[in-house]
This record gives sequence, structure tokens and C-alpha cells, in this order.
Amino acid sequence: MYFLPATIVKAAEHATTLAAEAQSGETGLAAAMADKFEELNHVLAHLAPIDKFQIGPITITSTILNTWLLAVLLIGGCYLLTRNLDFVPKKAGQKVLEMAVEFIGSLAETVLGPKGRDYIPFVGTIFVFILVCNLAWFIPGMLPPTTDMNTTFGFAICAIIFVNYYGIKANGFRSYIKHFYNPLILMEQFTHAFSLGIRLFGNMFGEKMVATVLAILVPLIFPLPVQILGIIMGFIQAFVFTLLTITYIGDFVLGH
Amino acid sequence: MSSLFAVGLTLALVAVFSAIGQAFASGKALESMARQPEIAGDVRTTLILALAMMEALTLFTFVMAILMWTKI
Repeated sequence: MYFLPATIVKAAEHATTLAAEAQSGETGLAAAMADKFEELNHVLAHLAPIDKFQIGPITITSTILNTWLLAVLLIGGCYLLTRNLDFVPKKAGQKVLEMAVEFIGSLAETVLGPKGRDYIPFVGTIFVFILVCNLAWFIPGMLPPTTDMNTTFGFAICAIIFVNYYGIKANGFRSYIKHFYNPLILMEQFTHAFSLGIRLFGNMFGEKMVATVLAILVPLIFPLPVQILGIIMGFIQAFVFTLLTITYIGDFVLGH
Repeated sequence: MSSLFAVGLTLALVAVFSAIGQAFASGKALESMARQPEIAGDVRTTLILALAMMEALTLFTFVMAILMWTKI
């Protein structure tokens, strides 16, 4: 699972060799592109998570630090906003939070029926956390944690474990295990986890890669539409992850 | 150089065909929304789900293309 940083380092080396080739070549376009390749190398090296420090055998990367920081921000913000709630919301913070809960609740209700509201705590947490992780791009100096494959697979495995837990909790262990009389369902658990992780990672990493390269080649105005697309894409990806998780819960909870 | 060509061709082909597939799905969804505006919410949810499924195949290829590019 740790192959991604190696991939980016290799890509950076590739860009260095390209730059060297372009510099040794004749004048014209190749020489003009040499500087660009140098910058590309610089940026590609910074797309990879950096090793910060080490606790025993575990290396703490910048991705983990960013994730912790965002989690602390979210927990602290929600704690401050929900300290003294009103029955009829007056403050702006409580209104925003109730809108978010209502959005997730109506989404769960359309898929799971009236029972859907039981799953708001887990599904809503996943939605808000992934949304914040995706939009962390716009905090200067911060790499979105979801551009690291380890984070997205962490989310995906977490989601699948909770889907199975809810399957046991809703209908009892006996009827849960009946799903696995069809061995394809067992395999489906792994493919679901894999596709959830790859989908989130691919979208966010591709988006960031395109915007970065475009910002190097044409720094003025042209990256702007791609970055606006990045905001929309971050929202849609969080929405899709949540919707798929709800659908997978529905597979177990609603029965066949 | 031929491996670079293969990477570009992979991405181009998968972009073309996934765009065609998504265009069919979105077009039909728009038609049904225009015909029956009261079920627009349900159609939109299902449409996003279907588009995400199609998008996933594109992204698998994207990851494969990165791996091919860096020759892992």
C-alpha cells in the first residue's frame, strides 16, 4: 500500500531526466521547456507525503498530521457550535449543522426508508470528514489527505467494516450469515472496499495533478476553471462515497 | 517512447468510451426528468450513483496508466 510515494519519486526522477535531455538538446522549444520540467520536478516531489518523525516502528507522515489537524478542527468546531442548543435554532452555527444533518437524513431515507435515520451518526461523519479532507486543498501549505492512497483505503475499509456490523445489528447474526451462502457476496465485500478507495483517490489525485501541471505551464487565469471544478468535485466525491456506503448498508439491512 | 504512446492511448480511449457511456445515461435521465419533474430527486440520486460506477472504471485505468508511465 506504500507504493504511491515511490511512484511519485520515480515520476520526479523521470521529469529530471527529461529536463536534462531538453537542456542538452538544441535551442527552440526543447530548451524553453527545460525550466518548466525543472519546476514540474519540484512540484511532483512535493505531491508526495513527507516523513515528519518516527514513533517506534511507525513513521508519521505529513498526511497523518494533516488528518489529525482537520479532525481536531472538526471536533472542536462542532463542540463549540453545539454547546448550548436551542429548541428553535437562533444561531447561525446551529442552523448550518441542522441543515447538514437534515441533508444526510433525507439522503438515507430515500434509500433505506424510515429506518434510514438510525444511520446518520456514522454516514454523516464520513460525509463531513471526507468533504473537509477534499477541500483542505484551499488551505495554504496543506496537502489534502485524500490525495494519499492510504487515507482513502482507510476510509473504505472502515466503511465496509461498519456496513457488516450494521448488517449483524439490524437482523441478527443468523440472518446475516445467510447472505454468505452466495460466495459472490463475500467477494463483493473486498471489491466494494477496493473500488471505494480507488474512486476517491483517483478523482482527488487526478484533479490535483491536472491543476498543478496547468498552474505550472500557464500560471495566469487558465487554472481557475479547473480549481472551481475542484470545489464541485470535492463535494460530489464526498456525496458519492456516502451514497454508496448507504447503498451497501441497504444490501444487508433491507434483505433480499 | 513507445511506452509513453501506450500510456497516452490508454487514457484517450478510456476517456472517449466512458464519456459516451455517461452521455447516454445523462441524456436519458434528463429526458425522464423533463417528462416527470416530480421524480427528479430520485432520478438524480440514481444518476449520480450510475455515473460514479462508470467513473470508477476510468479511474482504474488512470492508476494503471500511472504505473505504466513510471514502469513499476
